[in-house]
Amino acid sequence: MFLGTSSGAGKTTMAAVYCRHLASKGVRTAPFKASNLSLNSYATSEGGEIGMGQAFQAWACGAEPSVEMNPVLLKPSGGRMQVILRGRPFAEASVGQDPDTEMMAAEAFRAFDSLSSRYDAVVCEGSGSPAEINLLDRDIANMRMVRERGIPAVLVADIERGGVFAVIYGTWRLIPEEDRHLLRGFIINRFRGDPSLLRSGIERMEELTGMKCLGVMPYADLRFPEEDSLSEGRGRLEGGDLRGAFMDNLDELLEIARESLDMRALDRIAGG
Amino acid sequence: MRSIKKKVAEEMKRGHRGPDAGCPYHPSHFKGQDCTFCYCPFYPCNDTDLGADIGSKRGGTVWDCTDCLFIHRTNVCRFILSEFERQGITDPGDPRIPGILPEAKRRFFRTGRALMILGATSDAGKSVTVAALCRILSRKGHLVAPFKAQNMSLNSRVTRKGHEIAMIQVLQAMAAGIKNPDYHMNPILLKPKGDTVSQVMVEGRPFGDYDVGRYYGEFVPGPGREIVKRNADFLKARYDFVIMEGAGSPAEINIYDRDIANMGAARLADADCILVVNVEWGGAFAYALGTLELLEDQDRRRLKGIILNNVRGDPSRMEDGARRLEEIAGVPVLGIVPHADVRLPTEDSGSFRGRDSVGSGRIKVAAIKLPRIANFTDLDPLFLEDTTVKFVTDPREIPGFDAIIIPGTKNTVEDLAWMKESGMADAVKAMKGKVPILGICGGYQMMGRTLRDPKGLEGSRPGTHEGLGLFDTETEWDEYSKRVRQDSAVLISTGEPVDGYEIHMGMKVRDGEAPLFRVDNFNESFDEGSVREDEMLFGSYLHGLLDRPAFRRYFLSFASSGEGEVGTEDYDRDVDENLDRLADVFESSLDMDALMGILGVRP
Repeated sequence: MFLGTSSGAGKTTMAAVYCRHLASKGVRTAPFKASNLSLNSYATSEGGEIGMGQAFQAWACGAEPSVEMNPVLLKPSGGRMQVILRGRPFAEASVGQDPDTEMMAAEAFRAFDSLSSRYDAVVCEGSGSPAEINLLDRDIANMRMVRERGIPAVLVADIERGGVFAVIYGTWRLIPEEDRHLLRGFIINRFRGDPSLLRSGIERMEELTGMKCLGVMPYADLRFPEEDSLSEGRGRLEGGDLRGAFMDNLDELLEIARESLDMRALDRIAGG
Repeated sequence: MRSIKKKVAEEMKRGHRGPDAGCPYHPSHFKGQDCTFCYCPFYPCNDTDLGADIGSKRGGTVWDCTDCLFIHRTNVCRFILSEFERQGITDPGDPRIPGILPEAKRRFFRTGRALMILGATSDAGKSVTVAALCRILSRKGHLVAPFKAQNMSLNSRVTRKGHEIAMIQVLQAMAAGIKNPDYHMNPILLKPKGDTVSQVMVEGRPFGDYDVGRYYGEFVPGPGREIVKRNADFLKARYDFVIMEGAGSPAEINIYDRDIANMGAARLADADCILVVNVEWGGAFAYALGTLELLEDQDRRRLKGIILNNVRGDPSRMEDGARRLEEIAGVPVLGIVPHADVRLPTEDSGSFRGRDSVGSGRIKVAAIKLPRIANFTDLDPLFLEDTTVKFVTDPREIPGFDAIIIPGTKNTVEDLAWMKESGMADAVKAMKGKVPILGICGGYQMMGRTLRDPKGLEGSRPGTHEGLGLFDTETEWDEYSKRVRQDSAVLISTGEPVDGYEIHMGMKVRDGEAPLFRVDNFNESFDEGSVREDEMLFGSYLHGLLDRPAFRRYFLSFASSGEGEVGTEDYDRDVDENLDRLADVFESSLDMDALMGILGVRP
C-alpha cells in the first residue's frame, strides 16, 4: 500500500512505477484503490467507470482496467457528490451527508479479495493523508484496508514545499499505535538538489519511527494522469497517443526509481 | 538649533495635538502617531535607546533620531505637557527639560514583545498571517513592526533611505500602518542567482555571493546571528510588538542547528511562536504534530498556538480534529481560518504554481515567464483592470495577445539567451507595431540593440550580446555595482505622476530614443526609459510603474483601442482595503483573547 502524507504527494505515480516494476519481472499484478475522490475517470471495457489513476496503473501492469480496481468512486459536482459503486452510479449525496461507510467498506473488501485471488500481487494506493483525525471513522481507503487485510504500507512524502520530516513523523504519530508496525518504510519524493544533504534527517527519522527510508526520488519533469482535483497538471508529455505517452514517461521514471530507491527492500516489504 | 527651539516654543504654547491629519507629511512615521512634538523638546537627547550619532557631511557627528517613535506616543506627549505645566516650564531652553525624559522613559519606555509566526511548509500562509496580525494590532492602537530575519526572494523593494528589502515585509509594514519600512524589518535578503548560489544582502546592501554550503558553513555561524539579533533588538526597542515571520518549515532536522530564520531567530529575539498550517493539501494534523514534536525541547516551549489556515468549505468540519490535535499536542488551536479571498501581492513564484493566468478581463496581456523572472509583482496592478494576465513560456502563444510585457530578471544575459533559444525573441519581435510591448528593468535591457558584459559580471563569461533590437539602446556591465533608489517621476506624454524604484546592475550607456519618464527626485533630475509611441514600444527601469493609474492607463490604451475598461484606481488604496479584509477574516476566526494573552496583553 502506498500512502501519501498529503494530497498530490505522488502516491498514484509511485504505485504505478511499482506496478510497472513488478510486471516487468513477470509478476501478475493489479492496482487497487478502495475509494477515489476524483473527477478524472475512465470507462472500462465492461462499461464501468473508475478513477483515471487506476486505469493508468492497470496499463502499467499490462492488465485490462476493471471496476474492482476502484470499487468506490466519489465525484463531487457543485454541492453534491455522485457515488459510483463497482463502476455504476449508485446515489447522489449532498456534501456533508456521507454515504454509508460500512456499505462502501464491504464493497472495497469484496473487490480487493477478488483481485487478490486472481493476481500474484495487488499494488494499493491510499487516498489523501491517512492521518486526517477528523475523518478517521469514515476513512476506508487508508488504514482500514491496511489493518483489516494486513497490507504492508509505505509512506510517500512530497518534499517540494518543505516540512517533509515533520509530516512523515506526524503521520506516523497519528496512526494508532497498534497499526504502526504495518508502516514499513517511507519515500521522499520530488527532491531538487544533492540528496546527501538530507542524510542526517533521514537517519533521525529511521531511528524515531523504525520505518526504513526506501530512497529519495528526484524531481522529474514528467506528466502523469491527475491524481485528484488538487493536483496541477504539469510536466512533459509528448506524442499523440496519451496512453503511449504516459507509458513512455513511466518507463523513464522507473529507470530513475531503480537508481534512486532500494527496490529490493521494497520487494521484501511487499512480499510480507 | 535656534530654529528647533523656536518650533518647540510654538508646540509648548499650542499644547496637545494628537494626529495632525492636515499636515502634508502626515503620518511621517505611523498611522495614528501623535504630532504634538513634531520638533522634539529634548533634541539632542543623546539617549542611545532613541537615536545614534551619525557622521555629518562636514565631518564630525550629528545626533540622528529619525527612527525615534517614543516622542510620537500619545501617553508620552501628554506626560511631557503635564510636567511642563506642573513645573511651570514655558521656555524651550529651560534647564529642567532634559530631566523630564528619564522619568518619561521610566514610565513608558518598554522593550516590545516578539511573536514568531512559523509555517509547517512553504506557502503555509505565514506572510499573510503576519500581515493580518500587524493590521489587527495596529487597528487596536498598538505600535507594531514586521520582521523576517532571512528571506529568500527575488521580489524586493527600495526603502526611503535606499536599502533593498523583500517586498513582502514592505507589504506587512503597510499593514502595520508604518510609513517608511526600513532594513531592520528584513536584515538578510537572499536573492537566488542560479540553482545553488544566492546574492546575500545584509541590512539592505550587497554583502556577497554564497552557495548553500558556504552560507550555512560560514555566513550563519559568522556574522549571521549577530545581524539577526541587533536588528530584532532595534525593532523591539521601538515597537510594542514585533511580528516575526519564519522561513519554510522550522522542523528541517537536517539543518536545525544552523538555522537563523526560524527557531534560531525566535531564540535570538526571545519570541513566543505560533505555527500556521495550510490545510489545503491535506495532512494538516500530521504536519502540525510532526513539526511541534521535532522541535528541540527548549524551542517547543516557545510554541504557544496553532492556526489551521486556508480552509475552503465549512470550517466546522475541522473542529473535531482540532480538539484531538490539542489533546495530543498539548498546544491550543487558536483558530480555523477560512480561505481569505483577498487580492494582495504574492511572495514567491511558487504561489502561481498551477495558476498561470490571473483575471478574466478583455485585454489579454502576455507576461513572458523568464526562467529567472524577478519583481513580477510589478504586474499585480494589472489585475485592477479589465485584463487577463497570462505567464507565457511558449512562443507559439504570443500572437494571441493584446499586449506583451517582458518583466525583470535576476540575470538579463542568461534570460536573453533563453529568449533566443526558445524562439520567444523572434515571436516578440514579430509583434512590433501590432501590440504594445513593455520591458521592465531586465526586460528593458533586452529590448535594446547591444548588451555588453566585458567582464562577465552578468553572464557566466565575458561577452557582447545582441539584444532584441526594438530600441536603439546599449547596456553595459562595467563594474560590480548596483543602483538602488526610489524615484518620483512624471509620464512625459501626459504629465501625470508615477512612482517607482530602480534595482539593477548594468547601466544604459547609449540611448537614441525619446525618454518615457522625467524623474524628479529632491536632489536630482534626469530622463528615464525609452518610448516609441508609433511602434508601441515602452521600456523603463522603474519597478512599480504600473502601481499608479497614470502609466497603466496610458500603456493599456494602446492595447485596448478604447474597448476595455481602464480604471483609475490607486493600487496602494486597493491593497490597503484588502489588508483590512484579510485582518477581518483572521480577527473573526481567531481566539483573540488567547492571542492577546500570548502577547502579554491583559484584557
